[in-house]
Amino acid sequence: MQGEREISYADVNRDVVRSLVETGSKYYITLGISATVTLLCFFFPWFYQLHYGIGAAGMNQPTVWGTYLASFIFWIGLSHSGTLLSCVLHLTNSEWRKAMYRSAEAMTLFSLLVAATMVMVHVGRPWFVHWAVPYPNQMEMWPNFRSPLMFDVMAITTYLTGSSIFIYMGSIPDFAAVRDRTTGWRHHMYVLLSLGWRGTDTEWHRLGWAYTFLAVLIIPLAVSVHSIVSWDFALSVVPALHQTIFAPYFVVGAIYSGTAGIVTVMYFLRKYMNFEHYITKLHFDNLGKLLLVLSLIWTYINAVELFTGWYSETSFEIEALRYKLFGFYAPLYWEMILFCAVAPLLLISKRFRTSFVPMLILSIAINIGMYTERFLIVATSLSRQYLPDSWRVYVPSFVEISILVGSLAMFITLFLIFVKIFPSVSIYEVKETLPEPEPKPQTKAGVPEWQPTR
Amino acid sequence: MSFIDNFLARWQEYREPGYYKEFDYAWTMTIDLDRCTGCEACVTACQAENNIPIVGERGLAQGREMQWMRIERYWEGEYPDIKLGFIPMLCQHCDAAPCETVCPVSATYHNQDGLNAQVYNRCIGTRSCAVYCPYEVRYFNYNNHHWDAPLDEQLNPDVSVREKGVMEKCTFCIQRIRQAKDTAKDEERRVGDGDVQPACVQTCPAEALVFGDRNDPQSQVSQSMNDPRAYHVLEEVNTAPSVVYLKKVETDAG
Amino acid sequence: MATNALGLFDAPSTALAAAGELKGAGFDTPSVISPIPLHGIEEVLGKKKDVIRRFSFFGGIFGALFGFTLAAGTAVLYLHPTGGRPIIPIPPFLIITYEMTILLGILATVIGFLVSARFPAFRERLYVPEAAVDKFAVAVSCKDAEGYRRAEEIMRGAGAEEIRELEGAD
Repeated sequence: MQGEREISYADVNRDVVRSLVETGSKYYITLGISATVTLLCFFFPWFYQLHYGIGAAGMNQPTVWGTYLASFIFWIGLSHSGTLLSCVLHLTNSEWRKAMYRSAEAMTLFSLLVAATMVMVHVGRPWFVHWAVPYPNQMEMWPNFRSPLMFDVMAITTYLTGSSIFIYMGSIPDFAAVRDRTTGWRHHMYVLLSLGWRGTDTEWHRLGWAYTFLAVLIIPLAVSVHSIVSWDFALSVVPALHQTIFAPYFVVGAIYSGTAGIVTVMYFLRKYMNFEHYITKLHFDNLGKLLLVLSLIWTYINAVELFTGWYSETSFEIEALRYKLFGFYAPLYWEMILFCAVAPLLLISKRFRTSFVPMLILSIAINIGMYTERFLIVATSLSRQYLPDSWRVYVPSFVEISILVGSLAMFITLFLIFVKIFPSVSIYEVKETLPEPEPKPQTKAGVPEWQPTR
Repeated sequence: MSFIDNFLARWQEYREPGYYKEFDYAWTMTIDLDRCTGCEACVTACQAENNIPIVGERGLAQGREMQWMRIERYWEGEYPDIKLGFIPMLCQHCDAAPCETVCPVSATYHNQDGLNAQVYNRCIGTRSCAVYCPYEVRYFNYNNHHWDAPLDEQLNPDVSVREKGVMEKCTFCIQRIRQAKDTAKDEERRVGDGDVQPACVQTCPAEALVFGDRNDPQSQVSQSMNDPRAYHVLEEVNTAPSVVYLKKVETDAG
Repeated sequence: MATNALGLFDAPSTALAAAGELKGAGFDTPSVISPIPLHGIEEVLGKKKDVIRRFSFFGGIFGALFGFTLAAGTAVLYLHPTGGRPIIPIPPFLIITYEMTILLGILATVIGFLVSARFPAFRERLYVPEAAVDKFAVAVSCKDAEGYRRAEEIMRGAGAEEIRELEGAD
């Protein structure tokens, strides 16, 4: 099941430890480039914006929201990848998730961190953004919990905490395994992180129970988080945004873009960390099937949105739809439909699903399409609201595009650091997919073969 | 028992939609569209009274206008048979304001006079209130502004100058309302009809704007509200605005 | 002199068999150290109590109460009505309550796990590094040298590769 060669338990330990400890110049060059791009493309333009004001971005009256919020939603959406793969597929006891879920969970964590920085970039006075956090203060002021943005704050804090705890708990046995085979600062770090894990039956039992229960808690949390993010839009009165379909739309879109993100990350992990035997055609096949289903659901929800808008016969709704399909942003809309609804139909073919490079290209195309979807939700709805005198087009500025590129580089940097600290393939879960070791026949002279009574 | 009665009474109070059973003064403005000539004197007066920044040519080209009171122009037809209408649009001070609920730090709320108050120093600039406002009357400070000399000598000392990253909008000249209320309190009376007029109302040459307390049935604004031409803009959005428009009467000449 | 006998096995089946035999022979419940969670261990060593469940449940209850109190209590502390809604509206505060239920449920589960599995381990415990790779170890505490000999005999009979004598507590 795990590729052509038979892998033993010892092989798994050795391969994962090797992925942690052995670093070549290619890794350092990639890390250096992504860190530099983060600095140049994210932090420098952001500092300029802090100095000048949000005016450095392309937003105007009334399109007060732009790519920063679209990026925020995109990164939160990408974070649903890990939750689906880790939690949902854990509860369904699926085998094929075991090699991939650690990296998928890491994607979740880092997407959330990047999304949190996008909030800092987005608000007008980020030095006061801590006022949105409920803490006792000398002003005796508390945030406004009636606000959808406060639901966001609470939900994302919970999700970030939950995801960090989840990835850490699942990694404790792996930290113990790599603790024994590393030296120096790594050894000390893993000694601390593994908490003294030994692998006794009591410890496995407790961990298993806690892990399953965390998975049970995190699944409704993930659904609620992206629903709450969608309600930032849906609880407004803007014609194109005030729709009940938004919560399922966003959740499905999140899982969709997250799964596409996993395909991208798995391709690179497999290629550059020598995990060819652990991440195989089977995994890509299953991910492809999942992507196909999600693509069909996503297409359906888009069709529902169009249909209900048209059926409503309200002038505001019809104008919002007409603008989306045929207005200034029409080329982006049709590009989104092409990448997210039409292109994934290629996944019907098994040959396509099991070829690595085509899957990589499709997954990147899907994520480009999904980013366009988030951008369109923000731009087309705010450009055309109720009063025609206020209709105005929004074009992102150079600073915004640079920060978007920088956020991607930040995510890559965080992930590159992760693969050298956390075991990026879960050792014990991969061992569970391998055949159980058989007892060797007794070779000691004079001792008869012992027959087990159980 | 009295603790429970107390608790229940307060619980009822806190469950009351909008909290206020009635406003202290229910400030309302009526705008007679028949009288409005679109001269934009109100826009200029508002800009002078409230230290509204001068955005400049580049800012305006980017679409970052700052006009707490703006005149919306709608026209039909081709020259010379043009029908032109002006709608002065300002913050409607809605009693069910969508913008108030969404601010995460409570920088905007409904005060006891029925005004939608904006607290500049609490605003962190999420701009969600501007998204939620169906009338688009909220304006964001995209950058710090400065006034070239000698315009900086014209700034109103009763009104703050907002820094970048803060949302602002029409306040019904709350500084004038507060002044009137303070004077009335010193003289131990209520604020009378006509004691307070926002800058736009004071300036309008056609007297198209009327401002006052709709709780007072004798006030000019209450009479004006009873006009059969009265309507609210975007009535169907159910925002319960405090600004009443009087429809322009169209006559088919010839 | 109390000591511990630790036997290394190649396969889970032999390790479990040995553990069963040791338990049957009257030793204190042995612990089985393995690189993966073993199935069938509950039949051999007996079912374990689910203590974490209680932590999660009370964490969730406390979270719900905390969430609603946070939202409603802070709304009441400084009255500022917004949007024609009540000071304590139910739908938004239910969402806050829900999120806090999950957050405190998660934290309580983690605390329950750490407490019941006795983490972090501040002192050295019985362990062999091979058990994290591909060997399965059975550790049992022996009261004296006689007990150690019996344990060694049982484990060798079950097919242990190697027996070690270790000091320390489990």
